[in-house]
Amino acid sequence: MSAAEDQADVDRVLAGNLEAFEGIVRRWQGPLINLAYRFCRDRGRAEEMAQEAFLRAFNALGQWRREAMFSTWLFSLATRLYCKQLRRIPIHSLSLDDIPESRNPERTDAGLEEEETARTLRRAPDALPPKYREPLLLYYFHELDVTAAAKNLGLPEGTLKARLSRGLDLLRAKLAQVSPVCQRKEA
Amino acid sequence: MNHDDLDHLLSHETEIVPSSGSTASVMNAVREQAQAPPPIPFPWKRALPGMAAAVLPLAWIVFACVAVFSSKGVGATEALSLPSTLQPLWHAASWVLIALLTTVVSLLFSWRFVSRIA
Repeated sequence: MSAAEDQADVDRVLAGNLEAFEGIVRRWQGPLINLAYRFCRDRGRAEEMAQEAFLRAFNALGQWRREAMFSTWLFSLATRLYCKQLRRIPIHSLSLDDIPESRNPERTDAGLEEEETARTLRRAPDALPPKYREPLLLYYFHELDVTAAAKNLGLPEGTLKARLSRGLDLLRAKLAQVSPVCQRKEA
Repeated sequence: MNHDDLDHLLSHETEIVPSSGSTASVMNAVREQAQAPPPIPFPWKRALPGMAAAVLPLAWIVFACVAVFSSKGVGATEALSLPSTLQPLWHAASWVLIALLTTVVSLLFSWRFVSRIA
């Protein structure tokens, strides 16, 4: 992903070449859809949310201040939109109590079971309050980059770290209660 | 579950590949948006006289109330009191003004609420 390409495409769009926006869409649709998917856990909805983010970005291209990377600006815009949309129409979130208990520890398909549990556990942050869920999603989406996550959410890094820590504590405590797989791992 | 387990679990998410028509769909929406006429701005020029007409009597009521409640003497009340022939009219008008005030407040509230959602 090239910052120079983004800048060139933005300049062309602002000069009236609408089709130059396609370059931006091609470069960023994957990351934006994946980010949306982490928020909503629904592929179709994720694509719709990403499309809405691109439309907002298109309308607000002139407001991009060049001192920040285009990607930072785009992700901030998308994150704000995703958070707002999820607060308006929440996902069917998983209760942490819904995480399945280990059915039979002696079964031979333990690998499959663990994979299923892991998949379910990845949805566990959905059950957290938005205040803690959003920093967690962004932090792991940006591969443990606190600065990027904080910029996207428009929070000071200290606040993000505090929420991250609290969110992880909540998650760990809940998971330890409900998931025998976790308990086994801990033991 | 220790920190590393949780990190590992949350870091390894399924990657979603955009559907084949995704780019085209976004670009179609962008083209539609570019062709759409700009949104109609709020007609401030037309609304201002009405809003002023609503606000001025309200300001007068507030002023009158403050004056009545702040002055313990009768003088201020007398100064603001209307002739007896206008008393029934004033009584009716005060209800109209209260209704207007309620409308303005609810409009402002809903406007603020909607703009926060949008």
